[in-house]
Formats: sequence, C-alpha cells, structure tokens
Amino acid sequence: MRKKKPSQEYRQHLLVCAGTGCVANRSFEIKEELEKEISKKGLQNEIQVITTGCQGFCERGPIVIVQPDGIFYQRIKKKDIPHLVEEHLLKGRPVMDFMYIPSPEEQPVPKMMDIDFFKHQRLIILRNRGRLDPENIEEYIGFDGYRALEIALTQMTPEKIIREVKASGLRGRGGAGFPTGKKWELCRNEPAKIKYIICNGDEGDPGAFMDRSVLEADPHSVIEGMVIGAKAIGAHKGFVYVRSEYPLAVKRLRIALKQAEEFGLLNENILGTGFNFNIEVVQGAGAFVCGEETALIASIEGRVGRPRQRPPYPSENGLWGKPTNINNVETWANVPMIILRGAKWFSSIGTKTSKGTKIFSLVGKINNTGLVEVPMGITMREIIYDIGGGIPQGKEFKAVQTGGPSGGCIPKSLLDLPIDYESLTKAGSMMGSGGMIVMDEETCMVDVARYFLNFTQEESCGKCPPCRMGTKHMVYILDRITNGIGSEGDIELLGSIAKNVELSSLCGLGQTAPNPVLTTIRYFRDEYEAHIKEKRCPALVCKALISYLIDPQLCGGCTICAKNCPSNAITGEPKKAYTIDQAKCTKCGICITVCPPKFNAVKKVSPAIK
Amino acid sequence: MISITINGKRIRARKNETVLEIARRSGIKIPTLCFHEDLTPFGGCRLCIVEVKGKKMPLTACTLIPEQGMVIKTDTPRLRKLRKFTLQLILSEHPNACLICEREADCANFQECIKKSAVTFGCKSCPQNDNCELQNLVRELNIKTIPFEFRYRNLEVERYDPFFDRDYNLCILCGRCIRTCEEIRHAHTLEFHHRGPETIVGTAFDLPHLESGCQFCGACVDVCPTGALRDRFGRYDKPPEKSVKTTCILCSTGCAINLNVSNNKITCSTPHSNQICVRGRFGIAPLVSHPKRITKPLIRKEGQIVEVEWQEALEFAAAKLQQHKGRTGILYSPQLTSEAIDKLYSVADFTKAKVAIRTSNDATPKPLKLNEIKGRSVFIIVNTDMIADFPVLFLKLRKKFERRALFIAIDAVSRDREFAHITLNPKPGTELDLIESLIDTKKASRKSGLHSAEIKHAKKMIEGRRVYVFYNADNFHFTKSGKSFTTFPLHSQINSLKIATFGYDGSPEILDDSNLECLYTIGVAPMLHNKYKTVIVQDCFLPDFDFDIFFPAATFAEINGNVIDIEGKSKRVRKAIEPMGKSMSDEEIIATLAQVMQVKLKRPVRRTPAKARSRVRRIARKANSLQLIIRENTHVFRNKLLSEIMKGFDLMRHDRHIWMNEKTAKKHKLTKGMHAVIISLHTTLEMPVKISPSVPDDAVLIFYDPSMRIDENLPVRLECTKS
Repeated sequence: MRKKKPSQEYRQHLLVCAGTGCVANRSFEIKEELEKEISKKGLQNEIQVITTGCQGFCERGPIVIVQPDGIFYQRIKKKDIPHLVEEHLLKGRPVMDFMYIPSPEEQPVPKMMDIDFFKHQRLIILRNRGRLDPENIEEYIGFDGYRALEIALTQMTPEKIIREVKASGLRGRGGAGFPTGKKWELCRNEPAKIKYIICNGDEGDPGAFMDRSVLEADPHSVIEGMVIGAKAIGAHKGFVYVRSEYPLAVKRLRIALKQAEEFGLLNENILGTGFNFNIEVVQGAGAFVCGEETALIASIEGRVGRPRQRPPYPSENGLWGKPTNINNVETWANVPMIILRGAKWFSSIGTKTSKGTKIFSLVGKINNTGLVEVPMGITMREIIYDIGGGIPQGKEFKAVQTGGPSGGCIPKSLLDLPIDYESLTKAGSMMGSGGMIVMDEETCMVDVARYFLNFTQEESCGKCPPCRMGTKHMVYILDRITNGIGSEGDIELLGSIAKNVELSSLCGLGQTAPNPVLTTIRYFRDEYEAHIKEKRCPALVCKALISYLIDPQLCGGCTICAKNCPSNAITGEPKKAYTIDQAKCTKCGICITVCPPKFNAVKKVSPAIK
Repeated sequence: MISITINGKRIRARKNETVLEIARRSGIKIPTLCFHEDLTPFGGCRLCIVEVKGKKMPLTACTLIPEQGMVIKTDTPRLRKLRKFTLQLILSEHPNACLICEREADCANFQECIKKSAVTFGCKSCPQNDNCELQNLVRELNIKTIPFEFRYRNLEVERYDPFFDRDYNLCILCGRCIRTCEEIRHAHTLEFHHRGPETIVGTAFDLPHLESGCQFCGACVDVCPTGALRDRFGRYDKPPEKSVKTTCILCSTGCAINLNVSNNKITCSTPHSNQICVRGRFGIAPLVSHPKRITKPLIRKEGQIVEVEWQEALEFAAAKLQQHKGRTGILYSPQLTSEAIDKLYSVADFTKAKVAIRTSNDATPKPLKLNEIKGRSVFIIVNTDMIADFPVLFLKLRKKFERRALFIAIDAVSRDREFAHITLNPKPGTELDLIESLIDTKKASRKSGLHSAEIKHAKKMIEGRRVYVFYNADNFHFTKSGKSFTTFPLHSQINSLKIATFGYDGSPEILDDSNLECLYTIGVAPMLHNKYKTVIVQDCFLPDFDFDIFFPAATFAEINGNVIDIEGKSKRVRKAIEPMGKSMSDEEIIATLAQVMQVKLKRPVRRTPAKARSRVRRIARKANSLQLIIRENTHVFRNKLLSEIMKGFDLMRHDRHIWMNEKTAKKHKLTKGMHAVIISLHTTLEMPVKISPSVPDDAVLIFYDPSMRIDENLPVRLECTKS
C-alpha cells in the first residue's frame, strides 16, 4: 500500500462519494480507476484520492469533487476518467461535459456551492460530509473534531452541559421532537448509580436514509455527541442500535470506535480526565417496531422487540431496569456543535419553537433526489423547487408525504408552510425522522394511504388489538376502495376506525399508523369519493379502475406495442390503428412505455372500460 | 402513601400500587382481559384504559403507577367507545355467532340454530360457554353489532397432545398462558410466534407439547379467559354443581385441590390456591371413573372369580385370616389415610401378621422443614428429577429461595437439569465422592470422571454458602453425616411421615419369607415369588397376579380422612362424591373386617420400627458388565402405575422400559422397541428398550416399581431376546 503523505503536500484532492447509493453505483471502482490513471500520469505525489460519506445529491451519483477548486463532477463513469485526469488534473481545464446542468437550456454549473441543490442548504449535522474520509479519525480531528468533547470534559460540569443543551432548544430528531436537554435532565436526576445511553439508529421509515448517511459519512460526530451526553447524564456505557440493513454504517462505526479508543477518546480515562465510557454496537434484525424506544430496549436485552406501555419512561426505567437516555443519530450529531459554538448560536437558527437544522431525505417525484440539510422554518416550496429542482417532466406537484408511515400528506395549498414541529403536526402530519416523499399528479392518494398502512400492518408487533386488527380492517377497506368495490360509508368508517386506533394503541406505531389515511381523507377526499362513487381513479393508478386504450387517431400502426405485449392482447394490421383486448390486458404498462413518442397513442382511462 | 382521585373519589394508595389494583380493592370496576393478579402486567388488551387529567392519551390502569394527586376517570363516554371498539375488533377474529345472534335468548341447547357442527362456531358449541371472560365482557358492555368483516383463523384444533386441546381460533392473544408458563411454572414452553396479524401462540418450532418441555401442569388452561385451552376430559361438562376442597394424595406434596362435581361425577380437578401438577390436574377425574375400576367384591369360588356381596367376602376373608394366623403378611401403601393405617395395625396385631409398607425407604423420613434453611445457601439436588417427581415442591423452593440459593444438580443420568444453575454428571455410583469433594475443601476426588475445572468452578460457587442436600432416598443413599451440611431426604409417597412417626416401618422382605401362607395387599402390586394359599387384594383395580378375594376400595375422592405431607403438615382428604358402585373406603373395609373378626380396634400406639434392611450399594465392576442405575418410579396410584391408568401419561413417561444410550445399544445390537433382558446375580428382568442420550456409557437405567424384582445396583449383563 502506498505510504500516505501528510495532506498539505498534495496540490489537489479528489473526493469520491462513498455513501451507499454511490457505492451501489460503483464509486469504489471509480476511485481505483482514478488512482490508476493518476499514477499513470505520474501525479500520485501531487493529487490524493479519498472516499467520503454521502454528498447528498444522490440523483447525480457517482460524484467526484475536486478540491480546493470546489469543482463538482456528477454521473461519472469509469470510461470518463482518463479524459478527466488528462484534461482537468494534468492540463488544468475542468471538463464541462461532466458538470451539473440544471436543464438542457442552461449553462453547466462548475462549482458545488453554486448549484441550487447545495446553495440553499445549511450544513451543521452534515458539516463533514463529502470533505473527509470517515475511516480516518485524524481528518475528523483536523476539522475541529473532538474539541467539543475536550471542552465538555475539562471545562464544564454535567449540569452546565445540560443547561447549554437546554438553552440551545435542540429537540429530538427521531420524530417526536421532545426537548433533548430536558430529557437528559430527567435521566440525570434519577438516583440510580448505573445509567445507560442509547443511540437509535434503527431508521425504519421507507425512503429515509438520513441516519444512515450520518453514520456512513461522519460516525465520529455521533460518538463525540454520545460521550458528551454520557458525561452530562452520568452514564458509563452506551449502545448504538443500528439496523442490520446498514452494513456500511456498521462497518464505519466500528472502525470509528476503534480509532477513538486508540486516541484515548473512549473507554477508560478519556482525555486523561478519569471519565470512563464505552460504546457497543448492537444490530437490529429487521423490525420497524424496534425503532420504538421500549421495543429497542427489549431487543438490546435479547428479548422480543415488543413495546411496553409507558409510563414509566426509559429515563426512569429503561435498559435492564436502569435509567436510560435514548436519542436519535441526528440528535447526537448536533451536540458537539452546540458545545463548540454555543447554545446562543444554535438557537439563532430555525424558528421560535424549533431550533437548528434538520436533514430531510428528498425522494419521489423530484428532480434532485438526495439528502438535504436545511434550517427549520424553511418553507416546503423552497425545498421542493429551489433545492429539489421541481417535479420532473414538468408534471404538477400534488402532495408531499412527511414523516414516513407515521406522518401525513401536505397538499399544494400548504406549500408555503414553514417546516417546524408544530406546524407540521397542526397540518395533520409530523416531522418524523425527516422523510419527504414528493408526489405528482400521477400519484393516487388512496393508493398512497394503502401503501403506508400495509407497511405498518406488516410491522405491527401484534400485542394490542387496535393496531394489530384495527389497521388490518383499514387495509381491507382501502383494498376494496382501490379495487372498485368501495361503498358509501367507507370513508366515515375509515375515519372512525382511524380515530379509535390512534387513541387506544399501545405504542407510537399504532398511534400514528392512521395518519396517512387521516390526512389523505382530509385533503384529498375527492379522490376517495371518485374511487367509491364513480369507480374512477383520478391519478390513473389503481389497476382495477383503469383501462389501457389506443387512440385510433394517433396510432401509426408501427406494431411495436403488439410485439411487446406479454399477454398478446393487442391486435391489428400494420399501418392501421391497433386495438387492445380489454379481457386479456393485464395492465402491465409495457405498451405505454414502448409506444414511440411521435405517436404517443396509448392512453390510460378511468373508470375502466367494461 | 399517596392520595389520588378516581371518579371523583379520593383514595389513598400505597407506593408501587397500580391504578387497577387500587380500583379493584376500592370496589371500582374496570374491565380487563389480559390482566391476572399473579402475573406481571401486559398492557396488551387495551380494555383497562383510563383517562388521566393532563394526559392526551388514555393509559392502561394495569401498568399505571399513579403520582400524588393524579385525577383519574375510569368510565367516560370516550372510554366506553374505545373499549367497545377494541372488543369488536377482537370479535372480528373470534367465532362470535352466538354473541350477536338475535335469537340467543330462545336458543335452548342446539335446538334453534340449524348449524350443528363439531367446530366451535359460537358460544353454544364452545366448552367455555357461560364460563368465558370474553362472553361476560361482551354481555356487560352490551355489544350487539360488529361493524367489521369476520376473518376467522381457520386453524385445526390441536388434539395431538395429551390432556388438553388447543383451539387457537378462539385465542384472543392475551398472553396469559405464555406469562404463566414463564413466570409461574418456569417451563418456558409457549411464546408468541410471528408478529402483527399473523401473531399466534405456539411452542418452539411448532413442536408438539410433548417435545417442547411442557409439563402438562394445566396452569395455562386455568388462566385462559376463553375456550382456546381446555381440559379434554371435561370438555363439555357444564360449570360444576359443587366444588369440594380436598388434598391430592398422588405424591407427598399433598396439594390442595378442588374436585368439581356434576351429577355425582367428578368432572375435573383444579388448583385450590397454589399450583398443582399434571397428576393432580388431569389424572384424578379419569381415574375415579376409569372403566377398568372394580366396584364389586369378588371371591374365587371353585376356581372361578365371581361377584359377591360384602358380607360374604368379608366373612370369607375373616375365616382365612384366622386360618393363617401367624403366617400372614400384610403389604400396604402409604397412600392410605392415617385412620385406615391405624385400624389396619389393630387387625394385623390380632392376626399376628407381619406388616410392611410399599417402599423400603431406608432413610427414615423426617419432615421437610423449609424454615431451617437460612442465609445464603446452595441446594445440592442429587439423583432427583425435581420437575418430574416434585414439581410443586420445587416451585415452592424456587419462589422462596430464588434470591439467596444456588441450585446445583448432581445426577449420573440426564445431561442437563433445567432447573439448576449448575449441573454435574458424575459417573454412576460416584455421587457421594463428588459431594464430599465439593463440600470438603481439602478433598478432591477424581473418581467422578468430571473435569477438574468443572469441580473447581462448582466449589467456587459454593464458597461461603450453607449447604443443603436434597435427594430422593430411593435413588440415593447418603451415608455421610456432618456439621457442614444439612440433608433433606425426600420421600415421594404421601403419609410416609405418618408411618415413620408411628414406627410403622417394615421392609417388604416379607415377600421372601416362604413360611407365609397368606398375603393381604392394600394398594400395592408386588412381584410375587412364593406360592400363597390365600391372596387378598384390597384396591381399585385388578392386580396382575392371581388372587382369592378382592375388596373394591374407594378412591380418595370418595372418602374422608387425614394424611401427612412432606413437610409434616396434616391435611384433610374430603369426600366429593359417594363411593362408586359397592366400593368402600379402606378405613371402612378394615373396620368392618375387624368387626366380623371381632377384633377390638385399639388406639394407635407408637412402635419401634423394624430394622430396615440396608441396601447394598457396592459398585463392583466385572468385565463386560453394565452398571444398573435404578430410579424410583414415584408415579403410582395404589397398585397401578399412573401410566397404566391415566391416558396420556404414558406418553410423558416410558415406564417399564430399559433405558440406554446409543453406544450401549449398538454394542449389544439393540434398537428401540426390541426386548432385552437384564441379568443380575439372582434375577432377570425383561422389558423393551428405550434409547436416550441421558444415560451414561456402560450403564442401563430402569424406573423401579414393586412389580419388578431386581438386585439394586449390582452389575448386570444385558441380552437381547427375539422381540
């Protein structure tokens, strides 16, 4: 292996994104190829290639950033690399072809900080993403890492730390938004001698990958936060519970823990202050419900991940009966900055009740899919249009689902909603862990409700009838509605079951599972009514309610659709209009995909043709 | 003490009392389903939810420990609506035909409804009809409609295990069975499988209960609120007319049980207050009304056995006893009541008969005084399967001493005794050496064949603890005495202490006495190897040998009397039904016999016990010989093994088999089910073979009952016979 030179001797660094998304897109191969090419050109002593955590702009991966120029290259393929190295690194001419272009009519944007996606973000939690190698603690330390720990352990008392976190206004980023400082204080005030802290990295929401990215990109920020928290609360043992579906995060975390220990930042006599604290990694086993704190605790204890009634809360009676403080990955990652830069600075960002920034995973029908960190109070419109680049193919925005299966849909009319805990809850949704699924005119809201309810149904632990069976009956009703056999009164029945499930369920899963149904009924009742009364799906999604039709005026008889139809349902004569046999059609959608754009003759219609 | 307000009423509460407990003792009704006062709260059924001022969501009363000044409401319109909703959800999965049928009031036992099926579709075809907590709640909350689709589970009723059926179509997932099995019985047989709507209760890997460690104690059946778990014997019996508290005499623990009676028949036996075991729970009712039970006196006339009246039988017996005066042997079981035994000795004295009890327990039984156990202790349990032989006693030991006692099992047989913290498997016959080396700090024995690390570890754990040695005296002979430990010999038959206290002891070599002409057995089935002129049998079931007179005895469910249990406490046996047929209690039979013989019944007098024959425990090893390990078969009812008369019990135990491990079987070319003969110095014993890894190498194991004749613990040869 090449001996590494100290970084300042290199004239340029190439930061290759190695978050899970880009890794799946072969970014490790890109790195190897870059190193090979650089070596070939004899530049290995001048240019260093490192892998970093997720850059956030997942839509455009694999990503390579050239520093200190700040040039942003996207969608890099292995074959692009010789050209890139030759042109940019050897000859100093950045390659326009590989840069980000917002739309075909516009100019390429060379610098990362000029790109809309990045321009509007404010990186605090993700401050280190994309600029350091997460498997090298020295780089973290080089960027002021562990300075906050030093301050906390040597200059602050536990009470002072808690006061600072309280004053910052930091609220739990896992979903419920409970004031973090207050939570720490409750745990600190328990008289028991043994206490535990836990980092909840279970992140079960479909489409959410904020915690994963933090753990992959900057695991030390979480570790530092946990040590500070342990000092404040008086705990000497911590656990990071990561879901098994995040092997890269687990790997980076373990490396980080080992390095922290080697540097005297973990285990015994941390920084020579006599404070002992160590962290163990525990992996989940595929249950969404284990993100719920009491189920998570049961899982760490080796028992079945079933929640129990609270009170008593974990801060009083948690892991093995001891006072336990659980916080989300993102919450812990905020702590070092609060201690380093002060509560006053932190509370200057955000709204009156929701301070600091929040990471959102922007997915769905959006141009710039990826991970964004923005200050609280930013509007939905800014995120979706300024950062997200709007809806692809010029379609109409319809709604955005926030908070995953526990959250709700925010419609177009609320696009100017400033994002904070209270406003989202008032709108019927919730902040949740930060998932943001954007939907356009081609998304059926009834289907969305059914999708989320199906998910919570499968993940329900089964202990209490309201969640176990209440959500099941809601799914039955939604299945009927999307299958065209909904009846009058179904919407009211759904609404009443939803309310009852919300109030009588044992844990947060059941209590929030009805939210998608409740918000879609609230804002998109017309779609429900269309499904039930007219047997029509306005978004043309529900298979039982749509038919595929070839417009005889537009069809050019090119035979492509007939050749591709898997059920042989399309017949006709070449150069004449083709027809679809509705009895045979399975509504797979292949014909619409293969029909040449110059004809665009296949249409979906609803209600279905008999 | 704190004070809270429930429904406007101020109530004082102790620390750590839940709202439900407070409400129950204050007469405030809160509906529950998953709650049980002996179990940790589950909070799953959501019926006990209450509204707490200042909290947005209702909270379950069973888990809520109130704070000072809490204001609670237990019965608001919102709560009623939510409870109704929850019950309706439960009913959408639970066969509810009768609960919401508008003709329920008219329905008189299957007459109205055209649906007659073997499947439980509603209350009328459910064993728990009118005895079901779900039914009661539905009626109380006045639920008349279910606005949900019915989706029943369509599972087959599980009937492949003995004693009780499991119809999980009726299960409401309250978890009481699971928590009972885990927290109270520590058998850990049941758990929820899967999650969400697929959740169902089951055993590990869905194995039959027989293979999952289930002890068939019936505790789960007793706590099930619906008809999901139910007794097989009394399935469709209505709630009993009366319930009689009595004592189970099937072992020395003497548990208090209730005998439930309907139509002068025992329908089932249930625990009275504490736990009981499979024998007392499922064995008694079928035993009392067993088809093979004899309820008429019999005598041999001209070579034929005929039914006669009591008078004739008694006179015949009296004449014979007179005839064989001085040359009679009486063998009786301690399962008799104290009164019967006392009277028996009067008759015995008169006829100058030699008397013996069923077991030759050569360690004189002494009362088990648990309050002698003090401080940090270690219980060394030797050669005794506590779970099979003393389950309820063990539960008591565990509950009382869990915090301060370490359990160590020493057993040559069975690799792992689940009930112990440490299990040691020494070579058969070396148990005493091992115990000595554990207790005595200087000694270190190598004979046991255990690793020195294992012994060292055990010794370390014992350090600083008081040592108590528990053992079944029929399985192990403890010859040491000393100040550093206390022994608790356990006897398995009830009333053994009565016999010991009165010096009624006597060993059964009377069976070897060839001078005896007459044998009178009461509740015992010995192996006869002498020819007797007269054999009198007093029992419930026919013996395997020829007899001349048979007195039908009543079971303990049909008599009154007293017995003494393992702790020395006197317990009352109470009559629940009239003796069946012409049977009479042992006491009455003996008293009437005495009357016929004109014997005056004397007050019981303490006697000096006959010197007990000490069992030879030499371990001599000859080439090609096997060690014979004998364990007592404690599961008997009078002259029958429970596995002979209690259907299903034979599946739990394999009595009258020769047990060996795979290696031994291979060496002797034996396979399971083949018959083999154990050949000893004086005796042979032929029985089918059973393979088990628990038996050590070069050894065979048998569970001894009096029908066998074997020289204890002498080396034996094994031969195979044509099966």
